[in-house]
Amino acid sequence: MSGREAVAGAVPGRPRAPGAPGAAGMSLACGDVSFSYEEARAPIRALRDVSFELRAGGSLALIGASGSGKSTLLQVIRGLDAPERGAVRLDGAGPADAGYAALQREVGLVFQAPELQLFAATARDDVAFGPRRLGWPEAQVTSAVDTALDVVGLPPARFAERHPYALSGGEQRRLALAGVLAMRPRLLLLDEPFVSLDPGTRRQLVGVLERLKAAGVTLLLATHDVDLAWALCDELLVLGEGRVLAAGPWDFSTAGGRLLAANRLREPFFVELWRRLGRDPQRAPRSAAEAAEALS
Amino acid sequence: MKATIAQYYAGDSLLHRLDPRAKFVAVSALAVALFVRDSFAGLAVYAAAAVLAYALSGVPFAWFWRAFRPLLWLVGLTFVAQVVFAPGTPFFSLWFIHVSWRGLELATYLSLRLVVLVLVGSVLTLTTPSIALTDGLAWLGRPLRRLRVPTDELALMVTIALRFIPTLFVELDTIMRAQRARGADFRRGGLRERTRSLVPVLVPLFVLSFRRADELALAMEARCYRPGALRTRLHPLRAHWSDVVLLVATAAVIAAGLLV
Amino acid sequence: MPLFDISGLHYRYAGAQADALADLDLEVHEGEFVAVVGANGSGKSTLARLIGGLEKPAAARRALACGHDLLVEGGRMAARRDVGVLFQNPENQLVAQCVEDDVAFGLENLAWPAADMGRRVDEMLARFGLEELRRREPHMLSGGQKQRTALAGVIAIPRRVLVLDEPTAMLDPAGREEVLAAVRELRGEGLAIVYITQEMDETVGADRVVALERGTEVYAGDAGGLFADAALVRRLGLGLPAAGELALALAERGRDLPGLPLTMDELLDALGGAT
Repeated sequence: MSGREAVAGAVPGRPRAPGAPGAAGMSLACGDVSFSYEEARAPIRALRDVSFELRAGGSLALIGASGSGKSTLLQVIRGLDAPERGAVRLDGAGPADAGYAALQREVGLVFQAPELQLFAATARDDVAFGPRRLGWPEAQVTSAVDTALDVVGLPPARFAERHPYALSGGEQRRLALAGVLAMRPRLLLLDEPFVSLDPGTRRQLVGVLERLKAAGVTLLLATHDVDLAWALCDELLVLGEGRVLAAGPWDFSTAGGRLLAANRLREPFFVELWRRLGRDPQRAPRSAAEAAEALS
Repeated sequence: MKATIAQYYAGDSLLHRLDPRAKFVAVSALAVALFVRDSFAGLAVYAAAAVLAYALSGVPFAWFWRAFRPLLWLVGLTFVAQVVFAPGTPFFSLWFIHVSWRGLELATYLSLRLVVLVLVGSVLTLTTPSIALTDGLAWLGRPLRRLRVPTDELALMVTIALRFIPTLFVELDTIMRAQRARGADFRRGGLRERTRSLVPVLVPLFVLSFRRADELALAMEARCYRPGALRTRLHPLRAHWSDVVLLVATAAVIAAGLLV
Repeated sequence: MPLFDISGLHYRYAGAQADALADLDLEVHEGEFVAVVGANGSGKSTLARLIGGLEKPAAARRALACGHDLLVEGGRMAARRDVGVLFQNPENQLVAQCVEDDVAFGLENLAWPAADMGRRVDEMLARFGLEELRRREPHMLSGGQKQRTALAGVIAIPRRVLVLDEPTAMLDPAGREEVLAAVRELRGEGLAIVYITQEMDETVGADRVVALERGTEVYAGDAGGLFADAALVRRLGLGLPAAGELALALAERGRDLPGLPLTMDELLDALGGAT
C-alpha cells in the first residue's frame, strides 16, 4: 500500500466516496478567536481576534516569532482550550453543533518535540494509544498502526517491536508523528515539526508531509522557517503578539513584498533566486529538485 | 505561580539583609520556645515579636494573607477538635459534643499558638530566598560532615531540584496536553483508571528527568565540579553585627515569653 | 605544542556492536577554528566528551589535551580545566537558580575567591549581553539566552580551547544567530575552537574541516576541499543550505557546478549570472 493510499484510508464511522466533499481533508475557519491565560497575576492575551479560513485539503503556514501565539492557536483549534471569544469551525460546524466533538477527534496535533509523549514499551503500543482511545476495534487499530508506521518510514517489520527509547532522535520524532497519524486525522496541525532534527530526518519528514498533502489532508504548519513554509504550504498566516498580521496566498508583488518585509520575513530562497534570475517570482519552484528541473 | 507559604517576597528590608543562618536559628529557637510553656501571656509576647518582625520586613499583608488563608481550615479544625475532645466539665452538650470552659480555653490557646507558629516561620521564608536558606542550612549542618553526611552535596542537590521545579511543571503540562490531544482523559473513571491514565504522563517525565540528570552531570563535570571538593560561593554568607543583635533580641524575647 | 595532540583514538560504548570512534587522529593548534562534521552516529559527540576529559578513551596511541594525558585520570581532570565544552541542550546545562549564579558555578568549583569571581562574572555577563538578565531564573529565558548563559559559564573559567557540540541544534533562528555571533567574537579574540555540527553552513570560515562517518575520519583538510566533493557531502548526510541543495540537484541532472555554493551569491556566480 503506498503512503498516499494509506493516508486516505477510511475514517471510522464516516463512509465516504472518493472525491466526496470532506473525503480527505477537513476545512477550518477561525472567527475572532481570542484567548488569554493567567501568568503571575497578569493575564496574557495570547490570541486576539484571530480570523482566517483554510479550505479542505489546503495547506497553511503559520508564521511568527516565539511568543506570537502559534502554539496556543494550534491547541485552541484542536480543542485543548476553549476560546474566550469567537469560534473554531471544523467542516463548517461550530462548538454548539452536534458532532463537533467527533470532528475535533479528527484533528491531529503534533506538538513541538513530540518525542516527549513516547511512553509505551513498544513502538506499536505507543502508536496504538491514540486509536485505542478512539475505541476502534483491535483489528482496525493494528491496521492503522501499521499504515502509520509505513507512512513515516518506520516499517513495522523492523520497528514495531522496538522500544521507543532505543530509537534515534529522528526515529523517535517520526514515531511520535505516527502516533498522531494513526488516528487518521483529516486536519493535521504541526507545531514546529523540524526543530532539533538532523538533516536526514528533516528531508524525510518533508517527504512525509508532501505525501499527506497529496492525499488530501488539510495541513496547518506552525514554523519560523520561511523556506519550509514555502516548500509545503500554499498560504500563509503571519501572527504577531496574538494578532493576525497578514493572511492569504503567497504574494510576491511589490505590495506583498512590502508586507513580508514589514513582518521581518525574508523572501523564500527560491523566490529570491527566481527574481534575481529575471524569472517570475510568483512561479518560483518549491524544492531544489523542482528548481534543478527548471534550470536544466 | 500562586504564593505558597514558602514563597519568597523580594525586598531590601532589614530582615531581608540578615544572615539566613541567624534567622534560621532565631526562628527555630522561637518555635521551640512556643512549646516549652503554655501561657497566653507568653504567646502574646511571641506574637508581638512576630508582628514587629513583619512590620520590619516590608512584606505586604496581602501577600502573606493569600498564602496563609488556605491554612485557616487547619486552625479551625484544631479549634473544633480541642473543643470536642478536651477534658473538663461541660456547660453545654449536644449529642457527643461536650463544651467546657476549659475546653474553649485550650482550643483558643492551641489555635492561637498554631497561628503564631506559622507567623514566626513565615518571617523566615518570606524574607529569605531558597538559595540563601539552603546555603545557611548547609553551613549549619557542617558538623554533620564528621558523620559522613554530605551536606554540601545535599545542599547543591536541593538547589538544583528547586531550579528545575518550574521547568518540570511546564514539561508536565506539555506532556499532559500532548496525550490529551491523543485522546487521553485524566478526569475519567475511578481511582484505578485515573492512576493508570497517569502512566503516559509519568513515564515520559521520568525518562526526561533521567536523561536530564545525565546531561547535567556531564555539564557540571565539564565545569570542573567534583563532589567533595572545596567550593567557594559567589555570594558568601557574611555575618554582621545586625545578626548578633537579632540573636540577642530573640533570646530576650524568649526569656520574656518564658517569664511573663 | 598543539592544544590537541591525539592519535589512534578508540572508544566503544558498553554493549555496542561497533566502535563509536575508531583510530581517530586530531591535531588542533592555538587560534585554530576546526569544524568537525558528521551525521548522527558518526561519533562527534563522543569525540567532544573524550577530548574534554569527560570520558576515558578505550585506547589511543597518544591523547594529549593541552599537554594533559587523557588516558590518565589526573590528566582528564586537568584537561577539564583547560578545555571548555558547550553542549547541545541549553536547558540541561544550567544548574543555578539565576543567570549570575550559573555563570559563577565553574569558578565556585575551582574555589576562586569571591571578589575575583564577582569581577569575572561581571565581565562575562557584559561580554555575552546578559547584564539585564543577571537575576533572571533559567525557566524565564529564551533558548538563545539559555545557551549564551551556558556559554558564559563555560568561558568564565579561562580556557585554552573551546569545544562546541552542535550548540545551535535546538535553537530557533534568533537564538542560533545569537550564539553564532558570540562564537564569532570568541574566535575573533583568538580562542581556539573545535566546532561540531551537522550543518555545512556553520563550517564556513573554518581553518580546517574534519568529517566523521561511523567513528572514522573520512576527510580532513580545508573547507573548500570538502565543499568541492558533492558526493561525499551527500553521503555524509550533512545539512546544506538551499544553494547547496540546488547545486547537488543540478549535479544529479548532469549539470555540475564548480565547487559547492553555500550562499545565493555563490550560486548565482556558479550559474553564470542570469540564465
